Amino acid sequence: METVSFYSYKGGVGRSLLVAHAARFLAMLGNRVVVADFDFEAPGLHYKFRVAAPFSGGVVSYLLATSDDASAPPALNAHVLDLDTARIAGEAEFETGPVWLMPAGPAPKPEYWADLQALGDRLPFGDPSGRGLLAVLDLHARLEQELEPDYLLIDARTGITELGSLAATVLSDTVVTMVTPTLESIEGTTVVIQALQSAKRLEGKGPIRVVPVLARVGKKFDPWVQTGLDGIREMCSTERLIRLPHDPKVLNSELMGWMGALPLAYTQLLQEIFPSRGTQMGQR
Amino acid sequence: MWTSDGLGSSVSRSLWLRYNSLGGNVADADTLNMLVTGAIWRAEQLQAQGIRANEAWAEVSSWEEQLACLFPQTDPEGRIARRGAVRAALKSGDPERAEALADRYLAEKGTSKEFKAGLREILDDATQALANHFPYAAKRYGVRAAQGFARQIKTSGAFGLAA
Repeated sequence: METVSFYSYKGGVGRSLLVAHAARFLAMLGNRVVVADFDFEAPGLHYKFRVAAPFSGGVVSYLLATSDDASAPPALNAHVLDLDTARIAGEAEFETGPVWLMPAGPAPKPEYWADLQALGDRLPFGDPSGRGLLAVLDLHARLEQELEPDYLLIDARTGITELGSLAATVLSDTVVTMVTPTLESIEGTTVVIQALQSAKRLEGKGPIRVVPVLARVGKKFDPWVQTGLDGIREMCSTERLIRLPHDPKVLNSELMGWMGALPLAYTQLLQEIFPSRGTQMGQR
Repeated sequence: MWTSDGLGSSVSRSLWLRYNSLGGNVADADTLNMLVTGAIWRAEQLQAQGIRANEAWAEVSSWEEQLACLFPQTDPEGRIARRGAVRAALKSGDPERAEALADRYLAEKGTSKEFKAGLREILDDATQALANHFPYAAKRYGVRAAQGFARQIKTSGAFGLAA
């Protein structure tokens, strides 16, 4: 299982939509994909997958259930949604891989916020006892063991937070770091990329692969913006930054959601993020 | 330590004043025993009400540690205090302190095999309880390794930026 976190120093860059499209893209290539929403304070990944029916469970209530003294871990299937991937394939004559969604929870229902507050009280992620970290590592390892995905995609929390840090620096093999052409985004992202590249890792885990993606891109940049972006490109030893153009069709893809065709801009971008996955649909 | 509000404050206030009257130094055994009893009661009450009791257990551990200074481990009270200090440190969510206390007590001269085994058992039981609670993470990474990593994260902050 390769764990890929999608991170942005600033919000509003289209991160969750990219996560959803990445899941579709990888499933269309026949991969087994789990998607998890770790943006606890502003969860919305379930909207991107057009989860219509009311649901309960999710990452927050799962972790909350592990914070008590119950001896057995909670049932995973009560917290994970098995998405109907036939809807991805439509009329296409290829086999898609399964996609499971573990939303943060049924936000914005009041019970979700109550659970989130209780989680913060009972299972702080920075707790030196290690319980918070163990709970997250346990969920990560369990998803791998029970669902056997090829990919775990994580929608990580924006900014500098303990949870965002856990997702990116501890769980991930690859971090897709979205940056916009603004000074605050470039400078904040630069610091985070440096941190990711020097992050201490658990035994058995290699260095983090950082993939910068330039989002909300116009045609031209101010010179100082270009200088900052060149710095990020050099840090990541890449010849050019992957770009997500600011395009009405891209925005429309959000409205189309799970059912719509994957926009060309995303297909091209995702082929660059996942270069080893081939381009033939249904090939595993 | 003692605060003006919260559960059990009336129990320990007079004891706290007595302790303070000694300049915060190691008090007599009777005072410390009463402080320990009050702190344990407070921690258990907090737990019973579903309130995080880590700080209360840290207080228990601190009093037990001071009691342990008054009695050698050859004395039954000394052994009880040493075990109590380690147990309470674990309950406070501070395994690093628990291990440091245990290392110190295990290194004391004249420590019996039974007492050493008992202390190690306390630490091992706590680790095993976490391994049972988080079986997937324990199998993959090991509880002690994850705890050590958690301490590093705590020290260096999110993304290591506070290091």
